[in-house]
Amino acid sequence: MNEIKLHYVVPEIFAQREGLSSDIWRSDIVFERGKSYLIKAVSGTGKSSLCSYMYGQRGDYRGDILFDGENISSFTTNRWCDVRQREISILFQDLKLFGELTALQNVEIKNNITNTKSLAEIVSLFEELGIVDKLHARADHMSFGQQQRVALIRALCQPYDFILLDEPISHLDDCNSDIMRDIVVREAKQRGAGIIATSIGKHMNIDYDICLSL
Amino acid sequence: MILIWQLLRKHISIFELAIFFVANLIGMTVILAGVQLYSDLKPMLSGEQALIGSDYLVITHPVKRVGINATSFSSEDIADLVNQEFVESVGAFSASKFEVDGSIVFNGRRLSTMLFFESVPDEFLDVESRGWKFDANSSIIPIIIPRNYLNLYNFGFSATQQLPQITEDMIKSVSLDIRLLGNGMAGEFVGRIVGFSNRINTILVPEEFMVWANAYYGGVESVEPTRLILKVGNPSDPALMAYLADQNYEIENQPSESSKALFILKVCVAIIICIGVLFTVLSLIILTLSIYLLLQKNITKLENLVLIGYPPARVAVPYNLIALVLNLTILAVSLVIIFLSQDLYMAQLSEIAGYEISSSPMVAILVGIAFTALIITFNFFIINRKIRSISRKR
Repeated sequence: MNEIKLHYVVPEIFAQREGLSSDIWRSDIVFERGKSYLIKAVSGTGKSSLCSYMYGQRGDYRGDILFDGENISSFTTNRWCDVRQREISILFQDLKLFGELTALQNVEIKNNITNTKSLAEIVSLFEELGIVDKLHARADHMSFGQQQRVALIRALCQPYDFILLDEPISHLDDCNSDIMRDIVVREAKQRGAGIIATSIGKHMNIDYDICLSL
Repeated sequence: MILIWQLLRKHISIFELAIFFVANLIGMTVILAGVQLYSDLKPMLSGEQALIGSDYLVITHPVKRVGINATSFSSEDIADLVNQEFVESVGAFSASKFEVDGSIVFNGRRLSTMLFFESVPDEFLDVESRGWKFDANSSIIPIIIPRNYLNLYNFGFSATQQLPQITEDMIKSVSLDIRLLGNGMAGEFVGRIVGFSNRINTILVPEEFMVWANAYYGGVESVEPTRLILKVGNPSDPALMAYLADQNYEIENQPSESSKALFILKVCVAIIICIGVLFTVLSLIILTLSIYLLLQKNITKLENLVLIGYPPARVAVPYNLIALVLNLTILAVSLVIIFLSQDLYMAQLSEIAGYEISSSPMVAILVGIAFTALIITFNFFIINRKIRSISRKR
């Protein structure tokens, strides 16, 4: 997939609202593969909703979202499976890890259906992010910051054309944020993928091609 | 798959599955026992080896008063009977429309009597004889009499009159002097008894002869029959009985006890199978509810699995496996119960029947496989439908 186009998209809940001031809602926006985007927003302006719409998780919006010209409202469940396995990866704001599985199992459960990384590559990412000692710890026994890093590794265990990062460093210190940024940029470059990150203030220090306000 | 199992096995209630297992096992066993018992008992009550088979009924109009009653069947009556589902074929009795005198010299005495003849189409006869045909150039009339006439003579009449008992072969070798009178003509014939019928209680001559003789001595081309013989699939069929009662027809030879027993057996089996189906349906409801409950308890995990790219079909695999293993185990246990009980009751049945009854558990196996396949398909359908509904975006 080379582009994601948003055509006059607005959440149902904002549909009646007049004077909406946003670079994205009720606008024509194209996210291109290979470029990086930062979407800045204050709380409650719908940044997680935007990610959910583009990921096919929710459909409560007006307007059209097009993947390479194809309206996603017509996608079947199987088509979304393909998208989620090969075209778009996501780091959810609420992570969506499985608490009773270990950190490694949480990554493997994704890698098992995509066969993208070897165990050694996964372990090396754990090392790089400083959580190799947590490989076999249950996810729900880890801090949110540690869980964020596990969720990032899981998001990298698949091919993708775009990676959506919904407040990826909200619970990380600057040092760990930089490590995460390096990995995200490196992996995206390898795939020629686009990066779409959201932030409510603290954001990953990437040289973004385009910054948008929601 | 191990990880998915590890993730989703939580909340599986052994208690709920055990209730389903027991309920469905009872349902399945009752259904299979019903069909197997029916298939084992049926040969004893019908068909070649039947204790008594009666697939033929003779019907008449009732005689309500002294005198001449309107007791004949019109062609419409017969056509209506032929159209009934439970009637396979209908044969008309033709009665002789001329006078018949028969005499025989027996033990030095001439015994003479007035007689009558009737005929039915050959397909309704239970006697096969080479002599059963009419030749217009010959003066021989083949005759079939009821076997119980001979029995009446041998065991009733002969003893009181100090007459010897006679065998069937002896009777067949005797010639009867038959004199036919009517239409201003008279003819001498020789009657030969060629067989004995258990089914038809009258003095029978070939239908071809009857047509000829009625025209020649009776002066009539055709007569409306007063008795009909019906070939029916099941003489105890309630629909047949209701029809005959509705038309006010009387049955001369009531269905045999075995036909009634077969009917009762069918009713019992139907009740047993209904109970089995009820159990199975109830157990299916239990399973459906416990699967829904299980899916509901795991709904967040299922949603997250789908969100990280798992196809619904793959997420459904652990639940499908549970349903598959449970149902196949139920089928296996149920069949073992059937095999064991079949051994027990077949030995007793063979003792009652007085001969070895062969039986095969094939019916139970086939019905069991078909039923299990149906239940598994239903389970898969509800599991996959539920998971698809979870994975659809909200």
